[in-house]
Amino acid sequence: MCLGIPGRITELRDDRGMPMGTVDFGGVRREVCLSYVADEVRAGDYVIVHVGFAISKVDEEEARKTFEALKAMSQLDELEWMAEVADKSLQGMEGEQA
Amino acid sequence: MKYLEEYRDPALAKALIHRILDRATKRWTLMEVCGGQTHTIVRQGIDELLAPAVEMIHGPGCPVCVTPLEQIDKALAVAARPGVIFTSFGDMLRVPGSDCDLQQIRARGGQVRVVYSPLDALEIAIRHPDREVVFFAVGFETTAPANAMAVWRARELGVGNFSVLVSHVTVPPAMTAILESPDCRVQGFLAAGHVCTVMGWTEYEPIAARYRVPIVVTGFEPLDILEGIWLAVKQLEEGRHEVENQYVRAVRRDGTVPARELVGQVFQLVDRKWRGIGEIPMSGLGLRPEFAAYDAERKFAVEGMEVSEPAECRAGAVLQGILKPHQCEAFGTRCTPEHPLGAPMVSSEGACAAYYNFGRLRHQPAGTAG
Repeated sequence: MCLGIPGRITELRDDRGMPMGTVDFGGVRREVCLSYVADEVRAGDYVIVHVGFAISKVDEEEARKTFEALKAMSQLDELEWMAEVADKSLQGMEGEQA
Repeated sequence: MKYLEEYRDPALAKALIHRILDRATKRWTLMEVCGGQTHTIVRQGIDELLAPAVEMIHGPGCPVCVTPLEQIDKALAVAARPGVIFTSFGDMLRVPGSDCDLQQIRARGGQVRVVYSPLDALEIAIRHPDREVVFFAVGFETTAPANAMAVWRARELGVGNFSVLVSHVTVPPAMTAILESPDCRVQGFLAAGHVCTVMGWTEYEPIAARYRVPIVVTGFEPLDILEGIWLAVKQLEEGRHEVENQYVRAVRRDGTVPARELVGQVFQLVDRKWRGIGEIPMSGLGLRPEFAAYDAERKFAVEGMEVSEPAECRAGAVLQGILKPHQCEAFGTRCTPEHPLGAPMVSSEGACAAYYNFGRLRHQPAGTAG
């Protein structure tokens, strides 16, 4: 039960005074209580949903930043690896010369 | 962005794994608190890939697994009453009580229904005013806002035939109990991301400072977990012990304030037993006195029930990270998902079920790494 899933709000409604909405999880749609995030969400926003309740809004800017940082890290590793390979091959050449 | 696929990128995962293996000068011991993270770690084999640098100990963060036998027996007693519709999250149905489980109560004619949300249970109560509808309110701080809202809403709408059997637990006291244990080997934690979406991370700051352990608030996708491990290893290598937030896209320092507020209005801190671990002071949530009318334990007079845990199930040692699931004598033989001895083999978030389902069947002597 403890798994929260990110989904996109497609519609907001009011059910007897309670903010509710429809959330799309990659094609599967569910009724979700939006009471805890009502002040900060609009249709189109992503939220983390847990047992029928949105418990947090997903910050798209932060999501992008995390992903970009990870990507940069992997590219950096690739550059470091290339540098290492280059160093080794140069060392090898130096060795041959000596 | 859909916030799922991007965090499953194999090339980025590989880069992170290399980075962790390169950075670690010794083998560190980390605990992931949440069962959802355990599931990802074991399914993806993250613990095996990182074995030279990190030992992952699987923590007690599976709500199904830590619900004590006595609460299960109370649920069974209430569910068996005529006139009761007993509602629960699906994964509680097969958790063994002393004599049977909720599924068997249903087979014997008891009205036991699975709901997705506690609000669905409340809706059943509204539609069946002639019945007593009880919801089994278990879980950590993640389900607490949903369960608090169901009770709050029941009072608001004047639904008198609805009550909750509460067995709520909270993460920080469990982490403290683990750190206080003389057997504790944990050097750093991945804190449960979704618990922190609700609660924020301020509660973890005194724990990190007092026990000098890094605590990294971590998400649930493979890249989240790898980045969480990377940040924890980096802190350990640098001799730091801070609370750090990996799950920035969903967690803010103060959490989701309206959710925390309602939880505080409906529930209060109480002593709570944890399955296989025993009572941890002020580690659970119980209904505040003003909501006593919605307390199923009172309504059905089961408060006094006390039950001791069976000896053969070593869930307590597994949940504290002292024993790996496949090091248990009963694992895969007398205890399987079809015939579980204890809750960690039942729940999809349970460490024993994760090991069983993902083929970690080989037997190793206790004390070696899994």
